[in-house]
Amino acid sequence: MRVALFLIALVVLALAPVAAPWLQFVLTLAIAKGFAALGVAVLLRGGLISIGHAMFYAVSAYAIAFLARAGVNEFVLLLLLGTLASAVAGLVVGAFLVRYRAIFFAMLNLAMSMVLYALISKLYGITGGTDGMRVAVPSFFGLTLDKPRFDTALYYAGIVLMVGVGYGVQRYLASPLGHALSAVHTNELRLEYLGVPVRIVLLIAYTVSAALAGIGGAIAAMAIGHILPEFAFWTASGHLVLVAVLGGIGGVAGPFIGSLFLEVLHTVAVGVTDAWNLIIGVALIGVIFFLPSGLYGLIRRRGGEPA
Amino acid sequence: MLDTLIPLAVDGLASAALIFFVAVGLTLVFSVLRVLNVAHGSFYSIGAYVAASVGLWIASAGLNPWLSFPALIFSAAIVAALFGPLVESCLMRWTYGKSEAIQILVTFGLFLILEDLQRIVFGVSSLAEDTPMLLLGSTQIGGVVYLNYQLLLIALAVVVVVGLRVLLTKTRIGRLVTAVVADREMAQSIGINTNRVFILSFSLGVFLAALGGALATPTAGAAPGLGAETMVLAFAVAAIGGLGQIEGAALAAIIVGLARVLAIYFAPSLDAVAPYIVMLVVLLIRPYGLFGQAPTRRI
Amino acid sequence: MIKSGWMTALAVSLGALAAPAFAQEKPASLGVGVLTFTSGPAAAYGMPGKNAAELMIDEINAKGGIGGVPLKATYVDEAQGTQGVIAEYRRLADDKTNQVMIAALSSANCLALAPLAEQLQAPTIGWNCDTHQLLLDGKSRYYFRPNGNTIPEFVAYALYLLQQKPDVKRIAIVNPDYAFGHDAALIFKTAMKALKPDVEVVAELFPKLGSANFQTEISKLSASRPDVVFSNLWGADLENFVRQAQPRGLFSSSQVVLALGETVLQRVALPEGVIVGVLGDGWWMSPDARANPETKSFVEAYQKRYGEYPVFPSVKMANAIVYMKAAYEAALKKNGGKWPSRDELADAMRGSTVKTLTGTTVTRKDNDGLVDQIVGVTQKSADYKFPVIGGMVRYKGDALMPPQGEDAIKWVGALTPAFLAAQPKPGSYK
Repeated sequence: MRVALFLIALVVLALAPVAAPWLQFVLTLAIAKGFAALGVAVLLRGGLISIGHAMFYAVSAYAIAFLARAGVNEFVLLLLLGTLASAVAGLVVGAFLVRYRAIFFAMLNLAMSMVLYALISKLYGITGGTDGMRVAVPSFFGLTLDKPRFDTALYYAGIVLMVGVGYGVQRYLASPLGHALSAVHTNELRLEYLGVPVRIVLLIAYTVSAALAGIGGAIAAMAIGHILPEFAFWTASGHLVLVAVLGGIGGVAGPFIGSLFLEVLHTVAVGVTDAWNLIIGVALIGVIFFLPSGLYGLIRRRGGEPA
Repeated sequence: MLDTLIPLAVDGLASAALIFFVAVGLTLVFSVLRVLNVAHGSFYSIGAYVAASVGLWIASAGLNPWLSFPALIFSAAIVAALFGPLVESCLMRWTYGKSEAIQILVTFGLFLILEDLQRIVFGVSSLAEDTPMLLLGSTQIGGVVYLNYQLLLIALAVVVVVGLRVLLTKTRIGRLVTAVVADREMAQSIGINTNRVFILSFSLGVFLAALGGALATPTAGAAPGLGAETMVLAFAVAAIGGLGQIEGAALAAIIVGLARVLAIYFAPSLDAVAPYIVMLVVLLIRPYGLFGQAPTRRI
Repeated sequence: MIKSGWMTALAVSLGALAAPAFAQEKPASLGVGVLTFTSGPAAAYGMPGKNAAELMIDEINAKGGIGGVPLKATYVDEAQGTQGVIAEYRRLADDKTNQVMIAALSSANCLALAPLAEQLQAPTIGWNCDTHQLLLDGKSRYYFRPNGNTIPEFVAYALYLLQQKPDVKRIAIVNPDYAFGHDAALIFKTAMKALKPDVEVVAELFPKLGSANFQTEISKLSASRPDVVFSNLWGADLENFVRQAQPRGLFSSSQVVLALGETVLQRVALPEGVIVGVLGDGWWMSPDARANPETKSFVEAYQKRYGEYPVFPSVKMANAIVYMKAAYEAALKKNGGKWPSRDELADAMRGSTVKTLTGTTVTRKDNDGLVDQIVGVTQKSADYKFPVIGGMVRYKGDALMPPQGEDAIKWVGALTPAFLAAQPKPGSYK
C-alpha cells in the first residue's frame, strides 16, 4: 500500500510540470525546502529544536554564489561543494552546540543564524548586502543548457536526489546511530550510563542535518538564480520547523510532503487572499493540537498502518 | 575626549532604555512560564499601533495634549487586557509541560496570525504621533541636542527594573510568582492557584511588550514588519542577560546599547551586527547568559 | 474606437475558441503583471504606485482599453521576499495571456528579475528600477527602464546644492543600506568632489533598511558638524528620520538634502528650505504637469479616489503605463492593426520617444530611459496645507546621463566646474 502510494506520488510529481509548466519552479523550491525541513526533522527526533537552521541553507547558497563567481560552473560540483560547505559549518557549529539541550539549544541556533544573517546583510562590499548575489546558470554534467532546460534538468535531479538521499536518511535513522538519537530524546542519562557517547551521536546528527539543509540551499540557489540574506532570517528557520512538523517527523517523506503541500497551497492562496500568514498560522496550531504526527501520520493511518 | 564621551554615554543609555523595554517582558514570561514566546515582538508592535492610534485620536478630538502621556500607558494596558488572559488560557496553557518544539511552534503560529491581523486592522501605512516628544522639548548635552523624551525613557527604564524587583519580592502576588518559578509542582501542592499566576504573569509580559512599543511610537512610529525585527532584538538581549533574568536584561540592554552606539560612531558598517556579535561572544563564554545558570538535570 | 465594443466581443469569442493558436489575434484581455510593495514598511512608497496603476488602468478601460482590448492587471506584493517575487513573476510571465510585466520597486528585485525577463522573453517595464547597476551590459532585449537611473538623479542634487550653496565644504551622508543607498552615496560623493574638489565627507552612515530609530545616527551627524546632510532614505524610514532629526535641530544647523523628500511632504511637516526632488520629472505640480490637461485630470481623480495627492512614485507608475500604452499603439500601427507579439512590443519600446504625464521619456538603444530632473526646495504654500516645491530647476535628461557603454562612475568623476556653470539655475523652471 505504502509502496504504491509512494510510486503514485513520484509519478504525479514527475508529470506535474508537463501539465502545468509554471508549477515546476514552485515544486523545485518545495523540494529544496523539503531537504532543509528534513534536516530539522532529524534533529527533532533527538528532541532538539533548531530555530536557526536556515543558516545552513544560506551557507550552501552563498558558497555556490561565491564559487560561481570564482568560475566553478558545473551543477554536480556546485551541489557537492555547497553541501560540503554546509556540512563543515554544521560540524563546527555543532561541536559547540551539542552540549546544550532544550530551549538553550534552540536559542543558540537562533543566535548563530542571526549573526550570519546580520553579517551577510551588512557586508555590502562582499555579499552584495540585502541585494544579494546572482548565480549564473551552470552547466549540467558538462552540458551547457539554457535556463529553461537547466531548470527542467534541476527539477528532475531534485526528485532523484530526494529519493536517493531520502533513502540514505532512512537507513541512517534505522541504524544504531539513529536509534541512539531517538534515545537521547527519551532518556539521555540512561544512554550515558550505557556508555553511548551522546555528544558524538548528536554531532553526527547535527552535521547530517546541516548537510541536508545544504542540499536544499544549493538547489534553491541554482533554481532561483539569485540569493539573498533573507534565506537566513529567523522567520525562514521558523518556517522550516513548521514544514517539518506540518508534514510530520515520523518518516523521511513527512517534511517533503509538508513542503510540497505548503508551497502548492501558497501559490493557490496568493491569488485568492493576502492573509496567507493568518491561514498558515491557524493551520499550524490546528495540526499541533489535533494532528500531532502531521500529514504524514494522516497518510499512514489511511494507509492502514498505525501512525 | 570628554566631548565625545558624554554624547556616547547619553546615546548608549538612551538606546539601552528602548532595547530594555523590548526584552524585559520576554524574559519575565520565560522565567514564570518557561516558554520562549516567539509572538512577543507582535505584542510590541500591536502596542505601538494602538498607542499611535490613541494618540492620533486625542489630537484629532482636541483634548489636552498632556493626556498623551497617560495614554501611552493606557494603550499598553488595553493590549495586555485584550490579549494576555485570552492567549494564556486558550493557547499557552495547552503547551505547558510539552516539548520546547511544540511551545515554540505554537507561539510561532500565533506570531504569523498576529502579523496578518495587524495588517488587516491597521493597514500597511506607518502610523506616528509625536506629541509627547514635542511637548517635552530638548536639552543640549556635550554640544549635541537631545530630546528630553529620550532622557525620560532612561528614567522610566530604571523605574521598571526597580518596580519589577519590588513587585516580585515585596508583594504577595510577587511571592506567589516566585514560588511558582522556584517549583511549579510544589507551589501547586501547597494550594497556590498556578493558573492565576500564569495569567497574571503572561499579561504582565504582554503589558511590558506593548508598553515598549507604545513608548517607542512618539519618536519612531509603528510600521509593518516591526514585530519580526523587534523579536530578534528582544531575544538577543534576553539571551545575553540570561533567559528569565530581569536585571540581566537591563545589563544586557546597556551593553548592547553601548555596542551599537560605538559601532555607529566608529565603525558604521557594523551597527546592525553589533547586538549579535555581543550575543555570540557572551554566549560562547557563558552559554546561559550573564546572569543565567545551567539547568539541573533530572532523571 | 467606435467599433471597440464589437471588436472586444469578437475577440472574446475567438479567445474562447482557441487561445494559443491565434496568438496574433486580439486577445480577450491584455494581462499585465504589476509588482510593487503593498505591505511592509516599503508600502508607504509602493501603495501610491499601486493606486496610480489601478487608476490609470480603470481610465484606459473606461475608454475602451488599448486597441479595443481591455487591460487586466495582476498585482504582486514585493514584501513577500525576492524568492516569492521570482516565483510569481515566472508564473505570470509563463502565462501567455500576460503580455507585459511592470516590475519592480526594489532594486534588489529588479536586479533579480532582469535576467529572468530575458530568459522568459517577457517585455518588462522597470517602473522604479533606478540602480545604475541594471542594464550595465547593454544587451537587455526585454527589460526597459523609461523612468531614468540613479546617475542623473543624484548628479542633479550635487548640481543644485552647489548652485544654491557654493561654499559647501563638509558633507554628511545617511542612506539606507542596500544598492540604492550605496549607489546614491557613491554618485553624490563623486559628483561633489568632481565639481568642487575641496569637499570633505565628514560622516557616512548606512542604517539598515526598515530602521525605526535614528537617534544615535542623528547624534553622530550633529557631532560631526556638517554643512550639508544628504539622504536618500524613503518610506517610513524617512518619516521617522525627519520626525526625530527636526526637534534635535539638524535641519537648522545644516542644509538638508532629502532626495525622496517629495514622497513625505503630505505626511510629515518638513521645514522650509530643504532641498527635495522627484528622481525624474514626475512632480505633479510642475509647470509642464499643470499645462497638461491629462495630468490635471489624473491628479484630480487620484485625489478624489485616495484622499491624497499623488507622490512621485504614483507618477512613475502612471508614466510606466503611459509608456506601455504608447508602445502598444506604435506596434499596432506598425502591424497594420494586427495584435503585436511580445517581441514586436519590445521592439516598439526600444528607441521610442514617449510623451508622459510630466514630460518626455526617450528610450536609448540600451533600453535605458532619458528623463529630465526636477529639483527644488520646500516652500510654504498658500493653496495647500503641506509644503510644496519652489525654486525649481529642470535639468535636461540627456545632459546628466553618461553616454551609452561608458563607465558611469568614471563619467561622473570627470565632471568639471564648467559643466556646473553651464547648467540652468535654481528658480529658472517656473
